[in-house]
Amino acid sequence: MTIEYWHTYSDAEEAVLTEKIKPLFEEAYPNIELKLTRMPYEGLKQQVIAGVAGDAAPDLMRMDIVWVPEFAAQNSLMDLSKLDGFEELKANTFEAPMATNYYNGGYYGVPVNTNTKVAIYNKATLAEAGLTEPPKTMDELVAAAEKLKSKGKYGIGISGIHAWGLAPWFWSLGGSITNEDYTEVDGYLNSEASVKALETIVDWNNRGLVLPVMLGGEPGTWDGIISGEYLMSDDGPWFYSTKIAEKEATGFDPLEETVRAVMPAGDGGSRSVIGGENLVIFANSKHPEEAWTFAKWMLTEEPQKIMAETGLIPSNKAAAEAMTSMNIPFVDTYVEQLKTALPRTPIPQWGELEAIFNLAFEKAIRGEQEPKAALDDAVKQIEAILK
Amino acid sequence: MSSSFMSPEIRNAPHTRKSRLAIGLRQWMAVLPFVALGFIGTAVFVLYPMVRNIMISFQDFSIMPNATNAWVGFDNYLKVFQDPNDRFFIALRNTFLNVAATVPVNWFLAVFFAVLINAKFVKFKIAFRTIYYLPIVTSWIIIALLFKYLFADGDGGIINFILHKQLGIISEPISWRNHYWSAMVMIWLFHIWKTVGWGVVIYLAALQGIPKDLYEAADIDGANVMQKFWRITIPLLKPITLFVVINLINGAFGFFPQVYFITQGGPMNQTHVIPSLIYIEAFQNMKFGPASAMGVMMGLLVFILTYTQMKKSEDSACFKEDR
Amino acid sequence: MRTSLINQIIVYAIIITGALLFVFPFIYMILTTFFLGTNTLPKPDQVFSVNINFTNYITVWNKNNFVNYFMNSVIVTSVAMVGSLLLGALTAYGFARFTFPGKELIFRLFLLTIFIPGVINIIPQFVIIKEMGLVNTYSGLWLVYIAGGVIGNVFFLRGFFESIPKELEESVLIDGGGNWRIFWNIYLPQSLPALGTLAIFIFQGTWEEYFLALTLIKSEALRTLPIAILMFNDKYSTNYGQVFAASVIALLPVILLYMTFQKKFVQSGYNEGGVKG
Repeated sequence: MTIEYWHTYSDAEEAVLTEKIKPLFEEAYPNIELKLTRMPYEGLKQQVIAGVAGDAAPDLMRMDIVWVPEFAAQNSLMDLSKLDGFEELKANTFEAPMATNYYNGGYYGVPVNTNTKVAIYNKATLAEAGLTEPPKTMDELVAAAEKLKSKGKYGIGISGIHAWGLAPWFWSLGGSITNEDYTEVDGYLNSEASVKALETIVDWNNRGLVLPVMLGGEPGTWDGIISGEYLMSDDGPWFYSTKIAEKEATGFDPLEETVRAVMPAGDGGSRSVIGGENLVIFANSKHPEEAWTFAKWMLTEEPQKIMAETGLIPSNKAAAEAMTSMNIPFVDTYVEQLKTALPRTPIPQWGELEAIFNLAFEKAIRGEQEPKAALDDAVKQIEAILK
Repeated sequence: MSSSFMSPEIRNAPHTRKSRLAIGLRQWMAVLPFVALGFIGTAVFVLYPMVRNIMISFQDFSIMPNATNAWVGFDNYLKVFQDPNDRFFIALRNTFLNVAATVPVNWFLAVFFAVLINAKFVKFKIAFRTIYYLPIVTSWIIIALLFKYLFADGDGGIINFILHKQLGIISEPISWRNHYWSAMVMIWLFHIWKTVGWGVVIYLAALQGIPKDLYEAADIDGANVMQKFWRITIPLLKPITLFVVINLINGAFGFFPQVYFITQGGPMNQTHVIPSLIYIEAFQNMKFGPASAMGVMMGLLVFILTYTQMKKSEDSACFKEDR
Repeated sequence: MRTSLINQIIVYAIIITGALLFVFPFIYMILTTFFLGTNTLPKPDQVFSVNINFTNYITVWNKNNFVNYFMNSVIVTSVAMVGSLLLGALTAYGFARFTFPGKELIFRLFLLTIFIPGVINIIPQFVIIKEMGLVNTYSGLWLVYIAGGVIGNVFFLRGFFESIPKELEESVLIDGGGNWRIFWNIYLPQSLPALGTLAIFIFQGTWEEYFLALTLIKSEALRTLPIAILMFNDKYSTNYGQVFAASVIALLPVILLYMTFQKKFVQSGYNEGGVKG
């Protein structure tokens, strides 16, 4: 019996998956063969849509947490909360990542790992800005960026015009997207604090402090940090796992040449964005029982600890506890940042909401529209899709 | 066409309705074994999809199994027109801009290079033709990746490197895909570079069909190069020019990989064309109804344009088979 | 009248500049494939001083099942090419040699559809393939590639078929052969250059086809080359050396095929006729 599993792990993560996870699972369940399919990131959503529609979806997929409600709303995922052993699994799992699977009274996936982004600084550039340790506040970061500007370097590491790139900065500066129940945007996305946060980002960009990559320029964040042209950017643990794996080939040791810290704090505190992936079982899975067996097993302590070697933070409580003593060199900052990190709005309309959010921010940052007007427009459009 | 292929008995047959029907049937039976598969395939995979597209454009359509797909009248069309960001109109505008910007340049370069390569004294004509045609036979995806790389931001991209560092024509590197006009220019250059070889090859073939004695006669009259070009070459190439221009217009109308792989419609959805918008609306946003509505409108537009072009070129022999 | 030397030099200078413009991006791409620095955009001055090595080609060939995808593309493209040629030639033969009521009307209708961008049809084509239960099969891909290409191929071939002199058929007719014999023994051999040219067009179009393959093919084992190339475009960063090494490998068969046969290249019969008329 073969179950097919789609994923988008990076090279370094995939190596752990195929060399350790797969043999371990197949040893525990000799009658199930795990077929691993790495999907191209380009056009991934289209692949999933066409797969589900054409009855060619796999049994399981490791899916970005923000997609789960959208696909659940299309009736393409199985409700796992009614299955045998779900309650036990839920009790062993952190609540916040579990909640990203909730839709319409059921859970349509289980969290396989969680992650967030932290601030990663180039050590040499940090020294060039006259600092010995990472800035604690946004004001300190801005001062450092001002200093580097004359040297042709960039200090404020916003990585792109999308929620994943913008949200940590927007939130840390005091902005918000919705109320806590994710039902209202009016008075949140266009609140005074949100407008001020966006105005600050616009102002930074106008003063030439923000990485060119935010608006699609070069170099990319990784290249910029490695070359020292960028003081910092925020990114996930895969920066470390990938770069450590490539250390021999590139001669760049990320642990030596960069330092990490939680996001510099602004009016909203030190905020980052919660990322991560959920294991979902497709509604037209040919082997739902075996797929569920794998999902349950994948969330137990042992496999969770193995995947944690790559810096992906376990959603299993015991594995996360054990991780602290595993001596993974870069993970501490991520665990620390997770305590204050926030999720993107977990609703089926997130995809559309994000498109509106991105456009409003891009218009304001490019000076096409005043920040207040851009956010007011966005609120109007989002309200229309939430109805 | 092909009246010569008709047997005399058919031509002379009395034109009663019954015999005509019988003859028609007989003719169909004769040809059917050859065209049946082609007709069925075209009907199922080209014509029926168009009909289906029209149906979907009036449905609240979900591609998922067991969806109800309720009929919603013109809702999808309204949604397209009521888009607060006017993406459809922007895409429509860009489509016409693409035609206006690329067709004249593409056409001029094709004639220009073809005439020069065709000059009597030029050696290695085939080698030149092969090189000019090379971009045509390569893949859109690969060339798009390549162009994104050549036009990369900062001095890391060779184009900026040459314009800024080497020549100093521009005061700072352009972030090409970052601004509307520079992104459009990049898309146009990409398209022209990739397709101009087609026109060159067509014109080269056409030039070989021009009788040499015309030029010799002009030489005797003492005409110079430019006079020969304007008085002999251009008029004689007129029918082929129509064929080339129609194809260039249709090519510029059908921009898709050019936009999808270069800008994905950015910045701020400003560089979209209708096909790229349709694709993203359907497969990113799962809005199949509005996507199909845009497809139907684009199809109608192309249909009308092509139809009028065909009517116009009726006499010019480009689409006329029986001469 | 001989062209003056200066004019000759100017003309050569222009067409050689043109040729360089078309070739240079390819050279730059090839130079980049020798570049081993991962994920960083190589700077132009670095690119020109790179040492030639084939490390990236070897890495790419062995990574992400690249060889399998290459072979898959060979299979998909060959079958689609043969099928398209055969079906196109048959249908074009019907249009060129037979008279039947509604012929020109049908031909016009077909022609009208040729200019409507293909992406518009992707959604319903997918739905149809899905209803036939052919998602995730090559049969599904072949059906759309072959059937979807009939019109264009007929458009291309009809003119050639019509220029074949009728007298050639007589020998077959004298032998008592019918329409099929004429098709096989006269029309196909007589239009080999046209068929060859068309074959290269079809080969190239299928070889690089991405959107339909991405939509229809779901199993890793069935993926084709364009998908494989985009696999090197990683989520977090792009390894340009590897992306372009994969691209060069993918371009090679098409370019070799084209270089080999380009001397026999022909254009659609309409064009040549257009000038003479």
